[in-house]
Amino acid sequence: MQKGYAAILVLFVLAVVTIVACTGIGPAGTPFFGLSGNDAGSLILFDVRLPRVIAAMLVGAGLAAAGVVMQGLFRNSMADPYLLGTSSGGALGAALAIVCLGGAFHSLLAFVGCLAASFLVYGIAQNKGRVQVEQLLLTGIAVSMFFAAILSAIMYSSGQNLHQILFWLLGGFWNVSWDDVTLGLIIIPAALCLLLFSRELNIFSLGEDDATHLGVNTERLKLILLGISSLITGIAVAIAGCIGFVGLITPHVVRLVVGPDHRVLLPAAMLAGGILLALSDTVARTIGNEMPVGIVTAFLGAPFFIWLLKRRYAA
Amino acid sequence: MIELTGLDVHYGAAKVLDAITLEAKKGVFVGIIGPNGSGKTTLLKAISRVVAPTGGIIRLDGLPLADISSRDLARSVAVVPQETTVGFDFTVRDVVLMGRYPHLGRFAKETTVDLAACDRAMELTGITHLSDRSVNAISGGELQRVIIARALAQEPRHLLLDEATSHLDISHQVEILTTIKKLSGEISVIGIFHDLNLAAYFCDEIIVLKNGKIEAAGTPAEVITPATLQKVFDIEASVSIHPATGKPLVILLPLSSEVVKNDYRVHVISGGGTGAEIIRALHRSGCRVTTGVLAMNDTDYAAATELGIACITEPPFSPITESSQAALAAQIAAADLVILTSAPVGPGNLDNLRILAEAKETPVLFLADDGRAALPDYTGGKATVYLDRMTASHRLEVVTGNELINRCTHGRKK
Repeated sequence: MQKGYAAILVLFVLAVVTIVACTGIGPAGTPFFGLSGNDAGSLILFDVRLPRVIAAMLVGAGLAAAGVVMQGLFRNSMADPYLLGTSSGGALGAALAIVCLGGAFHSLLAFVGCLAASFLVYGIAQNKGRVQVEQLLLTGIAVSMFFAAILSAIMYSSGQNLHQILFWLLGGFWNVSWDDVTLGLIIIPAALCLLLFSRELNIFSLGEDDATHLGVNTERLKLILLGISSLITGIAVAIAGCIGFVGLITPHVVRLVVGPDHRVLLPAAMLAGGILLALSDTVARTIGNEMPVGIVTAFLGAPFFIWLLKRRYAA
Repeated sequence: MIELTGLDVHYGAAKVLDAITLEAKKGVFVGIIGPNGSGKTTLLKAISRVVAPTGGIIRLDGLPLADISSRDLARSVAVVPQETTVGFDFTVRDVVLMGRYPHLGRFAKETTVDLAACDRAMELTGITHLSDRSVNAISGGELQRVIIARALAQEPRHLLLDEATSHLDISHQVEILTTIKKLSGEISVIGIFHDLNLAAYFCDEIIVLKNGKIEAAGTPAEVITPATLQKVFDIEASVSIHPATGKPLVILLPLSSEVVKNDYRVHVISGGGTGAEIIRALHRSGCRVTTGVLAMNDTDYAAATELGIACITEPPFSPITESSQAALAAQIAAADLVILTSAPVGPGNLDNLRILAEAKETPVLFLADDGRAALPDYTGGKATVYLDRMTASHRLEVVTGNELINRCTHGRKK
């Protein structure tokens, strides 16, 4: 535990450093090195870059938290925040907004799509108030496929909107404002609620029956944790679209470093996810010429993860 | 105390448990035995409230199970399942500490009391040296001991074991069951067993389940009988009270359906345990075996009677009576083959050899792995005379054990 708290502290300091550094860096220049100290300069710093960096932090933290919870609940290392069909639900919502409403309310519809998908999956998978994890997982895949089929049909017939939908699907922070940050701040109290259940998540790794034997109300736990992580994922998708990789890989990487105890893992993964996404977005908007950030996260993260795995399994 | 009254459990339309009534008092180790699919695990799941009964009532210390909160239930009942897989790389100590969860508030940290309970549980199960290892880096048996330690760390008043020690090696099985037996002075224990002898040795009471119903219940000696085992498991077994433990000891006998009967008649003259193995082998091969004359405390006699083989007997240290001599002569005359082992011959059993030598007709196989027709002779050479006479007349042939079995298995009536 002591080692875990030290890791959280280090990550927190790194997160602050990342926010400052990433805000300073951009195509328009860096303070004291080309970026003027006038109104235009402070506008770029505080109304363009800062909200974007903070939003990336929050979204990364939220996706990592949801990933930790999903992997813990499903005891499956392939689990990610989009397991309950949230990504395809959100994408469908956004695509409908783009095609039918000319792009208006696309964040709202993405959010609604995410939650609708989660509720649908949970509703289908439950039998008399009980949900079997495996059925939930498979139902999530089936519903995702179904939504993806509708989405493909829409994209197929969307004509000139296709590029816009595709761009949204890959995810990014290019038009983020302080309003998005405000929305994203909800992720913090939601994640704190998740943290309250970290001991139960630890016990859940022994399997559902054992958790029941130890006095965990497993059905309630699943409902609460899936509900909160769907909310978090929905907010993340509404802000930045479907950014992959962060929610899947960050929990693994952090678990390799701080161990599986969710009391440490959850906050550490959130900080690491935030840092990863803020850095990736900075790369995307500077070197990458506003390339969708999902490309960067996977491009940088995957080799790093493979290196970490190799080291881990060689030991 | 755990009380079940008229408990029914259905899985869909199938009735898995049917009107189960039983009681596990404090200080009593109750064992449950029964074939696969007889409802043993379901019974434990009903008590730990993982499955809901469709009828009847379960009470823990007088309280109906349905009225107990999850947390109170977990403080009262601990369960050790057959197998556990741990999803992540927790350390052994982490997993044992999870047993303290029902005693901890949401915001509470583990106190010294919790840590002490955890240390004690690890000590009792002999895993203290593993405490910092990852649960995914230890053996299956060690992991099972971790799970048992976790259950003990719960400090329950009732302990449910679902074949908890089946995957352990025999020394750890005995060690852990002994520990649990000691603990069972203060708590009630219900354990599912597959090993009948372990159940008989450790349990105070045994309940036999078949097709969801209680087939028998009582002390091990009352319940573990050849008749019950035949009825419930469809096995043929010999049950004796072991002199050292005073508990029933179950020995499996070959299935009668496996034995192909043939009408080859073999009489075995042996003694002192020299014939037991051959008697069993002949019995398995389906020959009609007779034995004798044997003393009633002879190992060969015990083997023959356990297998239900006819045996001419005399009390220990007694000479062979006239009637036994006549019986032996009749058996030899009726047999297709007589097998003689190199049992020591003294005045008491010299008549066996004399009657065999006088019978003349029936061929004799002398069992000796060194190929020599000789036996320990305590009759001043009389026994050897009979043996040599049979050898000289080519009636006697020396064979090894394996040859003998081969001959008898493929034996044909001449």
